[in-house]
Amino acid sequence: MSEAFIFHTPSPLESPAGQVATDIQSLRDGIAACSDASLFQHVTRMPVRFPHARDVPENDFARWVGDVMQMPEVSERLAFVGSASILDFDELRGSLLGVLDRVQPKERKREAPEGALFHFLEAHSVLAPLGVEARTAAEVIEVWPWIDLGSAFYHLVEAPLQRTEEQALIPWLREHGGKSMADSAEQVVRSSRPLNILLKEVGSRWRRSMIGRRLIERAEAPELERQREARAAMARLAGRLRGRGSKS
Amino acid sequence: MSAARDDSAAYAPPIGDGSQLAPTSPRGGWLERYEQLVGARTLRALEALARKLKGHRIVMVNTTKTGGGVAEILHRVVVILNELGIETSWEVMEGDEHFFGVTKKMHNALHGHTQPLTDEDREVYHERTRMEAERLALDGDLILIHDPQPASLIEHRREPGQHWVWRCHIDLSRRDEDYWDFLKPAVSRYDTAIFSHIEFVPPLTIPAVLVPPSIDPFAEKNRDMSEEEIESICDRLGLDAASPWMTQVSRYDRIKDPIGVLEAFKLVRARRPAHLVLAGGSASDDPEGAEVLAEVREKAKGVKDVTILELPPQSDIEINAIQRASTVVLQKSLREGFALTVSEALWKRRAVVASAVGGIPLQVLHERTGLLVRSIEGTAFQTIRFLDNPELRRDLGVEGHVHVRDNFLHTREVRDYLAVFARLVG
Repeated sequence: MSEAFIFHTPSPLESPAGQVATDIQSLRDGIAACSDASLFQHVTRMPVRFPHARDVPENDFARWVGDVMQMPEVSERLAFVGSASILDFDELRGSLLGVLDRVQPKERKREAPEGALFHFLEAHSVLAPLGVEARTAAEVIEVWPWIDLGSAFYHLVEAPLQRTEEQALIPWLREHGGKSMADSAEQVVRSSRPLNILLKEVGSRWRRSMIGRRLIERAEAPELERQREARAAMARLAGRLRGRGSKS
Repeated sequence: MSAARDDSAAYAPPIGDGSQLAPTSPRGGWLERYEQLVGARTLRALEALARKLKGHRIVMVNTTKTGGGVAEILHRVVVILNELGIETSWEVMEGDEHFFGVTKKMHNALHGHTQPLTDEDREVYHERTRMEAERLALDGDLILIHDPQPASLIEHRREPGQHWVWRCHIDLSRRDEDYWDFLKPAVSRYDTAIFSHIEFVPPLTIPAVLVPPSIDPFAEKNRDMSEEEIESICDRLGLDAASPWMTQVSRYDRIKDPIGVLEAFKLVRARRPAHLVLAGGSASDDPEGAEVLAEVREKAKGVKDVTILELPPQSDIEINAIQRASTVVLQKSLREGFALTVSEALWKRRAVVASAVGGIPLQVLHERTGLLVRSIEGTAFQTIRFLDNPELRRDLGVEGHVHVRDNFLHTREVRDYLAVFARLVG
């Protein structure tokens, strides 16, 4: 129970994977043969590549099929199957291939215009300790505002997918008394929201989930201490309101 | 000054990056300025990566201290790396006119303008490289060599314990194979090669990494400007159109398709009031550029509301003002490298219509951060959409600004370099 969860921040390095698609057939073959790191780059990483977008853009395969191959229906289907962020890579690959296998054979060989081929890439993250750690589930809530978007994505999505269990936050929460936090985080992650929204949503759900526990803890605290904390909280609130007032 | 200019600069897209939540460490300098843009949490992540390289020493090498995009990037990146606590120095390879004559030929040939590579050229290049390898202070353990000119230094100065990385800023997709064969033995000795775009990567025996270039939001070309300043500069340039502007900023080169821009403008002008501004660098020392400029002027004769500007070097502030005063910024190139002019326009929250070539689709996501086109008619059609729809201009402009903030500022490029080195040192 005592081992700390150490937050890391990932710096993804993109590199050529060596495959090139010139038509739907070669895109299909490329997806069938490419590494998990390629699927990660072109599909799973979309939220972290566009962390502040209003909504997460369609994955690279869908965009290429729509923009270059001018096949909107196939593009829509690829976009949908790629939008579930915690799919297993095998499951994701199967879903993408399922869409492409439904394309009529005569359409599969129509070539992309010159200069608009699809180059498969891979992404590999270089990790660095963020200098932030938590020993309990409650401490995770405390340190969450210090966590950058890439780090949140890494611990909630990337690490479980890469099967680096010791870096996966949700199982750690379950083992450290944070089952409800783990459940709510899992729910938010499944929603495939833009990353900045996901980060806020997870944080606010966790804070809400702690209200009951904190009330019980504080009810057991001495009266003087509670009064002092109440005054401090009121001062913080007044400060925030003054800050807002001066901005407007 | 354009009466129809957007006021979308008034919109403040959310940083949403913990700036309000998390305490800020005392940074100062450029890091503090960047923190205001990218947020405290992003900066902390950069600092975390930098800590992995504490005690290492980086040496950057290129061939000029002033002029050109690489020097611009290095001026800022070297300072940021030092502020992050990583000792970083910048060495400039020197040469005489013979050497730079050869490297100019090399640069052109690697871009696809085939020229003969003589034995004398090879000798001049190798001899100068040998001399510079002795002179330059390549005393760090992490050496980052920029572009082909100094690439062969590694053959003379690599020492045990050093990691050498070659950063190629140019587009090698149409390279002259003679020149590439000449460089390849040296490049093959590096630990990693970095390219700006997947299409620029030649066949290699060493690992390749993709690092897009980036812009400096505080440079004269990109810094914020007041309405008065924009107006004053545009007045000075004689730009005082009452109708909305569509603008293309780029050198007078056929691959930038200025004639296509003019044709698209004629289609737009037939349906909507509009003014075209073509702004490019001086073509006085570029015979082909002068020819293209003359052709553009000839084709523009009799076309109403067209302004063709030939700007001198160091016109960054003028370009900044012109872009900010534009209703729509075009980049209707037939072929492109990475096209950082697009990031510059997006950073200014401009409505961008651009060709889907080179690195442009990484910056312009169709219907999200701008509009992609493939033809003259498409350029006219999408420009009219923007002219008619201020909300579309505003929404895509804001999203474009956010996209550049997240992906194409110098702090992201610094982070990528640190990640490359962190991977090498283990």
